Amino acid sequence: MVNFTILQVVLLTLLAFIKHVDYYGIPMIFVNYAVFWGLITGVVMGDWKTGLVIGGTIQLMQLGVAGFGGSSIPDYGTMAIIATAYGVTLGSDTGLAIGLPVGMLGIQLDVVAKILNGFVVEKSQKFCNEGKFNQMNAILWVCPALFGLCAALPVFVSVTLGQPAVNWLLEVMPQWFLSGLTLAGKMLPAVGIAMLLRYMPTAKYFQYLLAGFFLSAFLNVPIIGAAIVGVALAIAFYQRAERDTELAAHASADAFIGEDE
Amino acid sequence: MENENITAVAEGKPSGYKVTKKDLRNANWRWLMSVCTFNYQTQQGASVAYALSPVLRKIYTNDEDYKQALNNHFRYYNTQPWLAAIILGACVAMEERDGLAAADAVQDLKIGTMGPLAGVGDSLLMTMIPTIMGSIAAYMAIEGNPVGAGIWFALILAIFWVRMHALEFGYKQGVKLVTDFSEKLPNLTAAASVLGLTVVGCLIASVIGVTCPISFSFGDVAMEIQPLLDKILPAMIPAAITGSAYYLLTKKNASMTALILVVIVLAMVASAAGILA
Repeated sequence: MVNFTILQVVLLTLLAFIKHVDYYGIPMIFVNYAVFWGLITGVVMGDWKTGLVIGGTIQLMQLGVAGFGGSSIPDYGTMAIIATAYGVTLGSDTGLAIGLPVGMLGIQLDVVAKILNGFVVEKSQKFCNEGKFNQMNAILWVCPALFGLCAALPVFVSVTLGQPAVNWLLEVMPQWFLSGLTLAGKMLPAVGIAMLLRYMPTAKYFQYLLAGFFLSAFLNVPIIGAAIVGVALAIAFYQRAERDTELAAHASADAFIGEDE
Repeated sequence: MENENITAVAEGKPSGYKVTKKDLRNANWRWLMSVCTFNYQTQQGASVAYALSPVLRKIYTNDEDYKQALNNHFRYYNTQPWLAAIILGACVAMEERDGLAAADAVQDLKIGTMGPLAGVGDSLLMTMIPTIMGSIAAYMAIEGNPVGAGIWFALILAIFWVRMHALEFGYKQGVKLVTDFSEKLPNLTAAASVLGLTVVGCLIASVIGVTCPISFSFGDVAMEIQPLLDKILPAMIPAAITGSAYYLLTKKNASMTALILVVIVLAMVASAAGILA
């Protein structure tokens, strides 16, 4: 059984609010990265270590995933807050099983906030044209508040109204469901990495992917080691590319002179 | 129609005010608003107006000029906000010198650099760094060690310091820097991709901890599948899962959310059947 104190509910909701305002720009430090929000929630709940472990597990699922150009992605930070809040008493696996679905639901809310922001911005520009410049700036603060609510609401609901549901779920949740979620947690980094590969010139430079894979799979080189090799390869690549560009420039210049004669 | 009315009384001349370091720093802090006003019509446009409004007020003392300058910045804008600060600095320099006569040039500079900045910023700053630092931090975190998260945080703070000087930098260097840099950009981006792909190759083999628990027993002799797979190719299952996900995303145009749901369902089935663990 889980029972949050009123203070905990207030702190967790506030934390979620701050998290999302940070995520959308002010000041864009922790950018919804699960490992930090798990750790911070752990500190709030009085068990930083569980928070760190849960945050790290979700961070792995988050690898390679970034929202560009207003695309909506799962809310891994909210997932970390809820999973840690419950995980501190119920253990990290159960915490994760509770946090995962809520994080997926968070996607829908940010679409609503972005639509509402449209009206706020319209009003702000109207104030501008009426010469009410102070109001023009002031009203824009509604926008980050709306984004803050996108995380604060799901967290508030899951640590208040969600409690009986969670406690009921814990009684009926079968073992295969839990172990399935654990396996999903191990498999999800693959989706993030595939997403990352999609944004990179993977087909063009496939050989470097092979080199990195070889380093880890056969030589057990840790990530920092692979990054050192990667830097060496990148420098060699850059020098070659710069030389090629220069040669190409000369070649076209020569061709031009040749035509002149 | 509203714009035409404004033009009728606008003079468009800058006041001759000399923009100070303090004005630029202030605009840089205000630019933190960046994605906070994100909407589907103008995206980050309102944040640009919010960030630059105090310094523009000093450049345009005439109300109608000021309105027109703000309206110019209220327009559609969307790129990686950390790098955008450099461009906004350059815009301030242009408007300080030429006033509203620079409005079109400002708009061209902003629109023209949106794509390249988003390309570099999103791949390097928003994906590559979080992937590399995130995997280091996550791996240590799972073992209860906060050092990895600490290293990442230190890097984040260093980047924040640079971010808070970006607008000032753009103001001083101006348009020239942007055009000079954009010539070098293709090779730099490609080199960064080389580094990124090497690290990602390593990640595939180390981050996805899925194994096959199946074992056959022939009388007294038990035969496990996983050691057998490891002899053929270590990290074969992670490579196969990543490859399939990549195939579905690129060739089948699967959405990420759909793919995540498929993976969760698949994991439930594979776990219950004892095929994967």
